[in-house]
Amino acid sequence: MADNNDFPAQGGQGAFGVGMSRRRALQSLTSAGLGLAAAPWLSRMAWADEAGGQPSGPGGLPLARPDHPVTLPLYEDPIKSGLKPETGGTFTVFNYADYLDKKLLDEFGKKYKVKTLLTTFSDMDQAITRLATRAVDVDVTELTPDRLDQAVAGKLLKPINHSYLPNLKNNVWPQLHSPFYDVGSRYTVPYTVYTTGIGWRSDKVGEDIAKLDNPWSIFWKAQQYKGMAGLINSPREALGLAMLYRHFYGLNTEDPKRLDQALADLKALMPICSPKVNNTEYQTLAQGSSWLHQAWSGDLLTGAMYYLPKGTSSKVLRYWTAPKGKAPIQNDCWAISSTTKKPVLAHLWLNFLLEEKVAYSNFVNFTGYQPPINSIDTEALVNKGLIPEQLHTAVIKPDDLGPTSLQYMTLTSKGQALWQNAYSRFISGT
Amino acid sequence: MYPRWLWRVFALPGVLWLLLLFVVPFYAVVGVAFGRVDPIFQNPIPVWNPFHWNTAQVLETLARFVPGHAYWVVFLRTTEYVALSVVICLFIGYPVAYYISRHARRSKTILLVLLVLPFWVSYLMRMLAWIDLLAPDGYVNRFLMWSHIYPHPPNWLSGNPGSVILALVYGYIPYMILPLLAALDRIDQRLLEASRDLGASPMQTFFRVTLPLSKTGVLGGSVIIALPMFGDYYTPAIISGSPRTSMIGNQIFLYFHGGPQPAVGATLTLVLSLFLGVLMAYYMYSVAKTQRLAQ
Repeated sequence: MADNNDFPAQGGQGAFGVGMSRRRALQSLTSAGLGLAAAPWLSRMAWADEAGGQPSGPGGLPLARPDHPVTLPLYEDPIKSGLKPETGGTFTVFNYADYLDKKLLDEFGKKYKVKTLLTTFSDMDQAITRLATRAVDVDVTELTPDRLDQAVAGKLLKPINHSYLPNLKNNVWPQLHSPFYDVGSRYTVPYTVYTTGIGWRSDKVGEDIAKLDNPWSIFWKAQQYKGMAGLINSPREALGLAMLYRHFYGLNTEDPKRLDQALADLKALMPICSPKVNNTEYQTLAQGSSWLHQAWSGDLLTGAMYYLPKGTSSKVLRYWTAPKGKAPIQNDCWAISSTTKKPVLAHLWLNFLLEEKVAYSNFVNFTGYQPPINSIDTEALVNKGLIPEQLHTAVIKPDDLGPTSLQYMTLTSKGQALWQNAYSRFISGT
Repeated sequence: MYPRWLWRVFALPGVLWLLLLFVVPFYAVVGVAFGRVDPIFQNPIPVWNPFHWNTAQVLETLARFVPGHAYWVVFLRTTEYVALSVVICLFIGYPVAYYISRHARRSKTILLVLLVLPFWVSYLMRMLAWIDLLAPDGYVNRFLMWSHIYPHPPNWLSGNPGSVILALVYGYIPYMILPLLAALDRIDQRLLEASRDLGASPMQTFFRVTLPLSKTGVLGGSVIIALPMFGDYYTPAIISGSPRTSMIGNQIFLYFHGGPQPAVGATLTLVLSLFLGVLMAYYMYSVAKTQRLAQ
């Protein structure tokens, strides 16, 4: 396997030239007698890009990677144990639209005698912006791990008191009791897990993609599916696909050469299959307006459960992803907003979502995205016919997570700009 | 008698409106283009004082606005789509407006209502409806195959510039017809009669009297539809979704939507505004000239 989590050159290469870290620059300046004057400024710069030998992101927090776990700082104490849940008023949940069964929220409200309100965001950028600007007043929020350090550094989250969350230890996969992005689960509990792979319609695509030597290469051989192929509309996912096609697994790289190569490969797709870029594959694959699409595992399950037109068998939907360490695996989380006025109830909500029945119901009756719950036997779901047999490939097992897994995580600011600019050039169609 | 200043006060709401909802937000975009980002949340922090502006980042973006670079290509493509759409809107809209103005008589009100009717349906819904029509197995392709006009019709929804232009025309054409109709309605009938009395044919009357007198409507309608078309990003996203047909609005959306470079999005917005400002200036000059001639 190629370098798995390819950190940028230590300290960056901007202000101090190629290969010289800011820390080393500081040492050199100090020894030259200039350090006193320059130290405060350089320290700030160092905090911005490097902490404890690891690159750092927002607020100087070290960037977590599956093989570089990070313990997030606490800016306040968690609430005390044994408090009674707040009653009355409105309990507000902040989430993507259609990513939580509203019935479960109503059930929670009834159980604890509060009104409930679901406030939605369209993506994580909007979620963080609205939380940061206090445009919303929410009690709990859905969150992806790559935005966690932003939320923690910006003091948008309240730390968790685990005495309120017995379900975390009892019901959740052990691999996520103390995830690499939040060692000790100080701020988050896991919600769903999913992989990135390839979704296709077997009645339209002749190749058995899973049996190809390099299945990612199908997009570069998809002349006959021109106009019916698609990529996920995300800089990380789209450029990441091109990297995986080249057997490069450092999906958090900030190496401009790697990004240039990925961009060139993506551009090469235009005359081959003219891919669309969107995030509607859960619908378009099921409805047949797309035949081959980069997809998240949950999209295929959702498509099979809810979007197949009458008369179309779920057997036509296929999904492939690479084995552990060679394809991205992600998980979403829940966290407590720092502005909550119902902190006990917020804890109970997190615990509620990790109840076996609740997580199961949310999965099979609404989201189609798998929760990492021990008792949810996905093989049994396949046997029951809830998940089509051929889509067992979209099911994730606890062992798929771990230090050697691939996960798109936070980049430095410079790295983000590199990825964004490369993607901008791709979607410009030039 | 009323004091003179009283009438000027009437302009106050409009001036306030312009100040609060145009001048200040526009200056905020300028401030973002030359400003900073929040180191944690990456939200843009506009810098209001020009002496503290970061000009380097703007120049860096402008440097990518030269022939051969991505922004240049997208900008040219956008201009091309908008120009074609405006011309098509004009060719369809002018005869419609002319008919309603000159020949509709009793049905004029009904036709006007029908023109305004599409506004009652969300723009998004109208665009989504085209997806069903233009889908590979949609009604358009079925008709083309059934009628043998086009036995192997293309996939209209995958990077086809024609589909994007069609959608733009469909979405914006009512905004073209209404100013045209107003301009044609304002033409004094006696001028047309004088032209005929002096021996001009109907065609000559149209080209030498009607068309020049409706110039403000043509320009007004063109400006009204061109301005939002230039900034449109959802029409190509919905109808095509392909990088091949992306417009400058899609680039602006990408940079404003998240990430550490909202200044790039703001700079692209400013370049677009500058370009549109030139078009707008020409429109205003033409209107002023027409008014002078009329006096």
